[in-house]
Amino acid sequence: MALAAAPAHARAGSLYLHVPFCFHKCHYCDFYSLVDTRDRQAPFVDRLIEELAALAPSAQRPLQTIFVGGGTPSLLRTDLWERLLAALDRWYDLASIRAGSGEFTVECNPETVTPDLTATLRAGGVTRVSMGAQSFNRTHLKALERWHDPDNVPRALTLARDAGISRASIDLIFAIPGQSLADVEQDLDTALRLGVTHLSCYALTYEPHTAMTARLTRGEFQRADEDLEADMFLLIRERLAAAGLSAYEVSNFARPGEECRHNLAYWRQDSWLAAGPSASGHLAGVRWKNAPRLDDYLASSTDGFAPIVEFEPLDPRRALAERLMTGLRLREGLDEADMLDQAARLDHAAPARLRACAERHRRAGLMHPGPRWALTDSGILIADRAAVEFLAALSP
Amino acid sequence: MPDSSPHIRNFSIIAHIDHGKSTLADRLLQATNAVSPREAKEQILDSMDLERERGITIKASAVTVWHRHKPGAKADDLETDYEATSDETGEHKVKKGESAEAHGDLYMFNFIDTPGHVDFNYEVSRALKACEGAILVVDSTQGVQAQTLVNAYLAVNENLHIIPVINKIDLPGARPIDVAMEIEQTLGFKAEDCLLVSAKTGQGIPELLASIAEKFPPPRPPVTDALRGLIFDAVYDDYRGVIVYTRIFDGTLKVGDKIRMMGTQRTFLVSDLGKMTPKPVRVKELGPGETGYVVAAIRTLKDVRIGDTVTHEHHPAAEALPGYQPPRQMVFCDFYPSTKEDGESSDFEDLREAVEKLSLNDSSFTFQPVHSEALGFGYRCGFLGLLHMDIIQERLEREGGVEVVQTAPTVSYQIVCRAGTDDIVSPSGQVLKKVIEGMPHYAPPPPGHVLLEVHNPAELPNPSTIMEMREPICRLELMIPKDKIGDIMKLVLDRRGQYKSQSFVSQTRDLLQFEIPLAEIIYDFFDKMKGLTSGYGTMDYEVIAYRPDNLVKMDILVNGEPVEALSVIVHREKAEHRGRALCAKLREQIPRHQFEIPVQAAIGGKVIARETIKAYRKDVLAKCYGGDVSRKRKLLEKQKEGKKRMKNIGAVTIPQEAFMAVLDTGD
Ligand SMILES: Nc1nc2c(ncn2[C@@H]2O[C@H](COP(=O)(O)OP(=O)(O)OP(=O)(O)O)[C@@H](O)[C@H]2O)c(=O)[nH]1
Ligand code: SF4
Ligand SMILES: [Mg+2]
Repeated sequence: MALAAAPAHARAGSLYLHVPFCFHKCHYCDFYSLVDTRDRQAPFVDRLIEELAALAPSAQRPLQTIFVGGGTPSLLRTDLWERLLAALDRWYDLASIRAGSGEFTVECNPETVTPDLTATLRAGGVTRVSMGAQSFNRTHLKALERWHDPDNVPRALTLARDAGISRASIDLIFAIPGQSLADVEQDLDTALRLGVTHLSCYALTYEPHTAMTARLTRGEFQRADEDLEADMFLLIRERLAAAGLSAYEVSNFARPGEECRHNLAYWRQDSWLAAGPSASGHLAGVRWKNAPRLDDYLASSTDGFAPIVEFEPLDPRRALAERLMTGLRLREGLDEADMLDQAARLDHAAPARLRACAERHRRAGLMHPGPRWALTDSGILIADRAAVEFLAALSP
Repeated sequence: MPDSSPHIRNFSIIAHIDHGKSTLADRLLQATNAVSPREAKEQILDSMDLERERGITIKASAVTVWHRHKPGAKADDLETDYEATSDETGEHKVKKGESAEAHGDLYMFNFIDTPGHVDFNYEVSRALKACEGAILVVDSTQGVQAQTLVNAYLAVNENLHIIPVINKIDLPGARPIDVAMEIEQTLGFKAEDCLLVSAKTGQGIPELLASIAEKFPPPRPPVTDALRGLIFDAVYDDYRGVIVYTRIFDGTLKVGDKIRMMGTQRTFLVSDLGKMTPKPVRVKELGPGETGYVVAAIRTLKDVRIGDTVTHEHHPAAEALPGYQPPRQMVFCDFYPSTKEDGESSDFEDLREAVEKLSLNDSSFTFQPVHSEALGFGYRCGFLGLLHMDIIQERLEREGGVEVVQTAPTVSYQIVCRAGTDDIVSPSGQVLKKVIEGMPHYAPPPPGHVLLEVHNPAELPNPSTIMEMREPICRLELMIPKDKIGDIMKLVLDRRGQYKSQSFVSQTRDLLQFEIPLAEIIYDFFDKMKGLTSGYGTMDYEVIAYRPDNLVKMDILVNGEPVEALSVIVHREKAEHRGRALCAKLREQIPRHQFEIPVQAAIGGKVIARETIKAYRKDVLAKCYGGDVSRKRKLLEKQKEGKKRMKNIGAVTIPQEAFMAVLDTGD
């Protein structure tokens, strides 16, 4: 199935690109990535450019944000990056990005960042790097089977900064088997010392079909205790808030103005285009997902579009469900009037049910008072449970 | 039909599970040209999907094949050498240019492949009643096993001639000589009388065919000219209704005959007769000694009773053939519909339809509607054993298209209560069924008392009215490697088993006999026994009596409220241990709530074990990136649905898995 160009009012302000290559598969990872033994980087970039050209008519001009994730985008060879960046420049309007009001993020593995690469990225308009550090503790990196030397994180950040890429974020993982509260504190301190203005701190998640989960079920290690995980979660919020990075989403922390605009677009249910194997997009009320296998992606093309494995037009109920679910995770929360408006389209009693649900959460101290539905600190701790209740309130 | 009347041989193939009965049946079908090599797939007679997937036989199946044999010949030609398979009429094809007679006399073999698993033992008993002989298959790598003995005894009790066959001699681990010695030791057949075959390669099959013709006796001559046929099986067919399998002992049954079932006194008109060869082939009549199927516009399985005698409406026999006991349900559990989006009631309707449809196919499970405070409307079903329960659940889901949740299996108890003027009712208001004289395992209660049947702890009446609780006791036979006997003794004794006897099977194995409460073995005993014996032990059991013991009902209280679907009947002395294990299990199964939840086990109001489920602190997934949004929404929606499946007991939601936790015996 191919996507038709979106009507003008529904064009996407954001673009996601998926680069599926890694040099080793980390044990916790459930992203689509592969260790490329057949050197498919060049055909991949050619195919990606083809897809970018096909998608371009559906993009806003100028484009607001680009995010290149993976996989390990920094593993792409510099000459291929040059080709890719040139294509972006050709098919999309990067004026806002270049002017600094837009955002262009590339995920990097600290190991693979070189001066050549950062210079190329900068020249192509990249404004932000997201560095996969995960931990600065070698034992914990080993527990995740994450292969990099933690000393490379500061080196890579410096290279990016020296090249003129001004914004940087670090990814950390907590609740790693064997990790203590003090260990988490140490990771945070190290990250803060590096001067980043944005941090993503994810609790280790045991995704189905990952090596980590298999090892857990085999009993190779014990997962972190639920209470300890909650303590870590609270510690991180406290520590980072004290350092001036407040939680604008469950797992994301930033100095004011340094939030990841691209991710906010996801969470605010804006439209975005997606290119590359396994990439998912959202445009004019439709969600889709590209076929995940690289070979399928390379082999098939309909006027440049990728083969699609999922295609879901969101009905009003689903759309609202997703908005509630992601919105409740944000510090800014949701606009009550807007939510009730949308709910009124489901059935006449839906607004009352939602309002009652919000009231319950307010009385329990889980939600702030005011015109927005925003969870309090104790509410954020149980955001999923809250979301389940709001979702339940959508059905009569 | 062949010109001169054929010699008839009726026999069953019996064995311990997996010793190769169905594969041997394949070879017999192939060797007699009933199927061409092209048609021969593995275990042809296992036609149910579930049988093919699990590689086991669940239902016995009866087939008829034709064979030529020269009396006195040690081995037979294999018909596969002939130019074509036997045709529709059963006429036998011969080698080019030869007459059929050149191959010897014509034999009609009616044989039945039986299941090996103990749950389906009643299928074997039925099959044997229709036969004069039995092929007892023993795996040459495994030797004599528990069901080998049980099935052999069943055949001996029916006065059948037995041909012992040692199978799988093609395998590198085959020990035919040792196994022959075991057979001699345990069953008394001479070791040198055992035939050696490979049901896989076909080795030894000609000799087996010769033995069948020579050793098995012909059917007894008729003793009356009135029709008497034993119904030994019945299956439901979507198009033709019930198809009855019968073995004719006296008289002749013809198409168009009006028949009467002597037990149920129902009458039917025969529209079709035939034999499975294994393709169904119509015949005009079935004479004495023959086996075949009968189609007579019988609408449901409830209209026929297995073991009943068919006779003619107009010239009925005076006396029915000896029948057999209907199978008894030993294990019970509830099925409830899994909740789907469109509410509960419609789902119950789906379940009802599925259960009723399945009961047309399998008359050996029982069902009655139940309502549980915790789980809503469902069915309480009775099964022959745990495997049977498993299979029914799978067939409900697969064939009936319903998703079910299931409560922990229990056994059925008999309770002695003071007789009053009123019926005794369960807490839910159901009148409890009386066990009366003549019913299996009846032992009279003291004067002024009644004996009642209860197979759900929740149904127990007020404890003050109960004088005695009786539970089913099994005779348990275990075939065990000698060096593991100590471990097995301990396992059995820990579970209230009583040692009865020990006998020699071979240099390496002994046969142990115990008596043990059924409740102690229905859940994980088999797995434990297999574990302790590294897979070499085998077992068989049969309920022999109901006996009183010091049994009590243990209630489980969640957040202070009793949850009847979690209550269990346990032995007083084991109650504390079980209670602790159960509370610990529930602590794992019940998710944390906003508040602390005590979980308690209590007997008659006295708490004997307690655990606390801590209040939760965090419930939020770390990641929600762009590609994840719909996946995460579906996850949360599932939780929302899951919440429906979970049940609110007061302020606490209990998930389905917790209801199975009572199975954990804690050892
Ligand atoms: N090598 C070898 N394998 C055999 C032979 N006979 C049977 N088998 C294998 O043994 C397994 C069990 O055979 P079945 O014929 O299903 O055994 P069964 O006795 O009918 O089993 P149940 O009906 O479940 O009691 C299958 O995997 C067969 O392929 C044989 O002579 N040689
Ligand atoms: S580097 Fe990232 S994408 Fe690649 S395997 Fe590791 S976690 Fe997954
Ligand atoms: Mg079989």
